[in-house]
Amino acid sequence: MDQRIVQFVAALRANGVRISLAETADAFHGVESLGISDRDMFRYTLRATLVKENKDQPIFEKLFPLFFQGDEPPRMTNPEQDLTPEEADKIAEALKQFTDDIRKMLEKLMQGRPLNQNELAQLDQMMNINEVTDLRYQNYLTRQMEQALKFRQVQQALEELMAMLRQMGMDKQRVEQLQKMMEANQQALKDQLSRHVGQKIAENMSEHQHADRMDDLYNRPFASLSDDEMHQLRREVTRIAAVLRTRLALRLKRAKTGRLDVKSTLRNNQKYGSVPLELHHRDQKLKPKIVVICDISTSMRQISELMLSLLFAIQDQISKTQAFAFIDHIKYISPYFEGQQPQDAVRAILQQMPSGYYNTDLGASLVDFDERYLDMVDSHTTLIMVGDARNNYNDPRLETFRLIARRSRSAIWLNPEAIPLWGTGDSDMPKYAPLCNRIFQVSNLSQLSEAVDRLLLGR
Amino acid sequence: MAVDRTFRSAEELKEGLSEQQYIANDEISTILYLAQQIGKPLLAEGPAGVGKTELAKALAAATCRDLIRLQCYEGLDETKALYEWEYAKQLLYTQLLRDKLQETLSSSETLKDAADRLANEEDVFFSMRFLLQRPLLKAILSETPTVLLIDEIDRADAEFEAFLLEVLSDFQVSVPELGTLSAVHRPLVILTSNNTRELSEALKRRCLYLFIDYPTIDQELNVVRLKVPDLSPKLARQAVELVHKLRSFDLRKSPSISETLDWAKALVTLNAHNLDQSTLETTLSVLLKHEADLQKAKRMLFSPTNKRPGDYDMRSWQN
Repeated sequence: MDQRIVQFVAALRANGVRISLAETADAFHGVESLGISDRDMFRYTLRATLVKENKDQPIFEKLFPLFFQGDEPPRMTNPEQDLTPEEADKIAEALKQFTDDIRKMLEKLMQGRPLNQNELAQLDQMMNINEVTDLRYQNYLTRQMEQALKFRQVQQALEELMAMLRQMGMDKQRVEQLQKMMEANQQALKDQLSRHVGQKIAENMSEHQHADRMDDLYNRPFASLSDDEMHQLRREVTRIAAVLRTRLALRLKRAKTGRLDVKSTLRNNQKYGSVPLELHHRDQKLKPKIVVICDISTSMRQISELMLSLLFAIQDQISKTQAFAFIDHIKYISPYFEGQQPQDAVRAILQQMPSGYYNTDLGASLVDFDERYLDMVDSHTTLIMVGDARNNYNDPRLETFRLIARRSRSAIWLNPEAIPLWGTGDSDMPKYAPLCNRIFQVSNLSQLSEAVDRLLLGR
Repeated sequence: MAVDRTFRSAEELKEGLSEQQYIANDEISTILYLAQQIGKPLLAEGPAGVGKTELAKALAAATCRDLIRLQCYEGLDETKALYEWEYAKQLLYTQLLRDKLQETLSSSETLKDAADRLANEEDVFFSMRFLLQRPLLKAILSETPTVLLIDEIDRADAEFEAFLLEVLSDFQVSVPELGTLSAVHRPLVILTSNNTRELSEALKRRCLYLFIDYPTIDQELNVVRLKVPDLSPKLARQAVELVHKLRSFDLRKSPSISETLDWAKALVTLNAHNLDQSTLETTLSVLLKHEADLQKAKRMLFSPTNKRPGDYDMRSWQN
């Protein structure tokens, strides 16, 4: 059992749930004190000790039955038992006409025998199942195995057999009953296969450690990420955000001792006879206000999404974030983030602004912003532009950008393109660059988190 | 006060909670029992108003322990959570004891001698007498076992969380002037969070995790029947079903269990016999606290597809 739990933990880890050694130890303590006799209790114990995020619970629920279902054979009925000898003879007679392997399967269904270990092992080998470490292949492999066992032909043969029995004069109701039971048995076999495949894959997952994949992902350019990898990165963003938040919080705490606030000190120390026992300081307003303008055209989506996720995940360290998105016009998107996870919000926004081809217009979007939302930028605001500054040869509207940038405390540009490409083709980056206070080239997640860290720390 | 009570099984704990009018499901009682058995803090997460705080209160009552509650808020720090020296009292005492101090010091010949004597008396002023105990220290020093509720931990700052880790991991606190104070009884600790921000992994690692979601219709009905017994069973079921319907809408703030209870009480007070449109219109604001939500709910509930707008049929929107 201990071994099984360790495997289970490894499989959870392989699916991106972060579980520490201490938590595994807790799970063992818990199981020790509550026992494993009650399956639900056992499940609650493992879940409470291992899974600390609500969003990881579906993974847990999916893997748990694969590991702790027990190996009891599937429930099958044995229709052969209550056949009269006559009926048995008829069936034996009818079975003769089928080829060997089909007849064997039919007999299996008739006697309600599940697949045994040997047969399963044979199938495993045929499917090369030990290489598979992704549960999404479960259905596919199950179907493949069904094919190998000729399930469809067996199904057909079953129909034929029944027709023949009817012809041979067996009672109609009995035939129907027999057919139902055999079909149920076939379904049970299917379930057995599916469960077996799931268990196998889960075991493979736990043996297959891929610790350094994450590092690799950190340094992969956004443009080359698959959907799946993007999904993993989204989860990572919350972790990075937690780290960033702690750093920011510490800095705010250390910076709290601003200048002495004489008025407040005097007022608060009157209770001590005006002996200044407690000193009061002016809070330094260090929490930045941020206006972020993101390009969400197709090529820029990943970075914009991760940037927005990151910013909204550390909301409590920022006094206010106003977010805008643009393709050919600007859209105020902060409301989407209220009470919604960043990635859901981003998805909702993307649905609102479907991307077409070659319609990015940063210049027009800036003018739009200038007309409608300029009041959101003041001398405490950090303006962050996210995008490649590729403008489709439209007017870059440098004057408008200069105006917006000058109103802000500082203007920062995050560009995912490699520096040598800036200025090539329709890129207006070199024109915008002198108007910005800082420019970061961020083409992967580690660069992005470093950039956010640095711009929020003000270094 | 009655003696502290430990439960021997999860079922017993469940019964204990139901004696306190808290209806726990198997998951809650099992995990709570586990927390008691392996002595780990329990982190309860879930939407606002599903009874996380109530759970701690019920647990305290069921175990006959004192409940010590630390409500978290932005800017909460050690002096408010752990302990603080009572400056004013110290100052007052030095003023009042001035003569005695003078006496002690008068016989000394050198300045150094006087300082030494004063230093000898120092621990009078830095003793438990002047230590203002805040909830965490209170829970640690309490002579009787306690339940410590750290409410809405997600509202506190990240650095407070880090500080909390030290306390939760070994239940001892070092006060520089007094030395290390360690717990007489390990309190049962329950942390709650509304999940408004991600908690640090270090904190989560040290806790058992329990996610409390909105209850099923039957569970919630049980709660309503228990807490508002005056409401007729038929109306109670209708009311709970309506609340569940509301939760399935995309609202800014879904109605919580406590709001369901408030609403049920309101229905009793207003002597309502069925949920017709006028009753709903007057009382819906008990459930929904945002004007936009209210409008939306009314629009969806009183849609023109209802054949009889005056008398409003429950079944018409049930499917």
